Amino acid sequence: MKILSTATFGFRIGGDSWERGLSWEPDVIVAQGTSSDGGPTYLGSDAPYAGFMAIKEDLRTIIVSAKKKGIPFILSSGSPAGGNQELERALAAVDEIAKEEDIKLRIAVIPGELDKEYLKQKIRAGAKVRRLIDTDRLPEYLTEEDVDRSKRIVAQMGPEPIMKALDLDVDGVITGRALDVGLYMALPLKKGFDKALAAHLAKTIECSGLISEPQSFEPVFGILRRDHFLVRPTNASAKCTVVSVASHAFYERPDPSREENPGGILDISRAKYEQYDDQTVKVSGSRWIPAPYTLKVEGVSQVGYRTISICGIRDERMISCIDWFLEQARKYTEAKLHPLKPNQDYDLIFRVYGKNGVLGDAEPVKETKSHELGLIIDAVAPEEKVADMACTAAVDFVAHMDYPGRLTTAANVAFTYSPREHRLGPIYVYNIWHLLELDDPCEPFDIQVREFPIRK
Amino acid sequence: MKIYELAKVLRSKNAGPFRTTFDILFDADEPYQRVRDSGVLTKEHIAELYGIRPEDVYGIFFVDAARGIKITIPKPIDMASGDPRCRDLFGAQQHIPLLGIEVP
Repeated sequence: MKILSTATFGFRIGGDSWERGLSWEPDVIVAQGTSSDGGPTYLGSDAPYAGFMAIKEDLRTIIVSAKKKGIPFILSSGSPAGGNQELERALAAVDEIAKEEDIKLRIAVIPGELDKEYLKQKIRAGAKVRRLIDTDRLPEYLTEEDVDRSKRIVAQMGPEPIMKALDLDVDGVITGRALDVGLYMALPLKKGFDKALAAHLAKTIECSGLISEPQSFEPVFGILRRDHFLVRPTNASAKCTVVSVASHAFYERPDPSREENPGGILDISRAKYEQYDDQTVKVSGSRWIPAPYTLKVEGVSQVGYRTISICGIRDERMISCIDWFLEQARKYTEAKLHPLKPNQDYDLIFRVYGKNGVLGDAEPVKETKSHELGLIIDAVAPEEKVADMACTAAVDFVAHMDYPGRLTTAANVAFTYSPREHRLGPIYVYNIWHLLELDDPCEPFDIQVREFPIRK
Repeated sequence: MKIYELAKVLRSKNAGPFRTTFDILFDADEPYQRVRDSGVLTKEHIAELYGIRPEDVYGIFFVDAARGIKITIPKPIDMASGDPRCRDLFGAQQHIPLLGIEVP
């Protein structure tokens, strides 16, 4: 089985490497387009990563190519969190594409949001929903209250609902939030390929050109056989090497040789990587250790609102006493906001770039040598007006108050923008990062067959 | 010699929102084995660099086939990815304290 792998994040696929991939006659085009990497606020606010025009063009390239070839496409979209609103935005783009290209499409759509009532009912019925990692940040077992506190909940569907959808005589499948490797495993599993190899191939090609040298956002091609698989880039001047492929097993994973998946653990500790030809790497020896089926569930709760101000500090007299000065700014702010309590009713954060803005206490350079510092005055509070007030009080102090050796009695800092304060709106944290035990992997998912262009 | 002088890649990234993972990759066996066998990469050493407890280091993995070393640690309790106090959304610049590791 041959898989052309790309993404729907708006990398603007196409051109020679795309055509080259198509010329190798893939059986399916698979592309991931959801992610939790960008943090909880994408899920909370259902916000897009970036320009939607680029995402639409990638959808067009994939769908039109697949339709021409007469092969299915399997995509996740809803950039990036995979909520329903973002999925519908992608489907509206598909509708436009169908009209613009004058093609008819029958697509199985599988939304990735989890209904709160469904999850609460599972909990009431005794289903164990255990946290994915041991951290005091998460309840060990999910409660109905945790579910209620969540603004939005998605689940990383596995390959199973997609396998079912592929039986519905469709041109392709578009999911909301989904397990990336599940998208890639669906067709191979339907065709009876080895689960370990299918999962390992999926894990290898899900990030497309990141496994090639040089790294790129361009597609890669996977060929799955009975006892091994091959991977190579579609870009003629790139190559896959044993190191570039094997090292991808490290990418964004806590353990490079074992990965927990729904229904089993992929064990690649004994995997063998060989250079097959100049561009291609051969992989074998992956193992699958079956485990009870679990669905990864992600949810976020709102913690407040954020208001920030950005400014630059160039005067070395101020730079030399910046820690002391910001401590005074904190005390001033606390006095102004009294009786509201810091760290409870609001959180005031000074981010000092050029000093320790990136690493905080872990910064090994203790004395800054910067001639210029960037300062973000960052206030977070459950009530937006409190965040505004904390930010403004700190801004007032930073701009106008005294420090030893000060020459700048007109004002201390260079503000970047007008207005000085910026409301960043509601912010969220992950409060659900759990595994739901399931007997039927398809149970929470509604598979909808939709036709495009949409008839009004 | 400093560890970064021996490695081809030394990077950090989130492994989920609650952990940071470091990858140290090499383009030849000799420097990889030198670092692996030097004994400088211990849970105690990593814990000291990041101000955490040795028992909290999730793992230090040596993968000979990939000539790679992976180290995974928890993020500070109030600095999960996207938290109000988070300083590095993708965990992409947390490798800096590792750069100073001296390899005999």
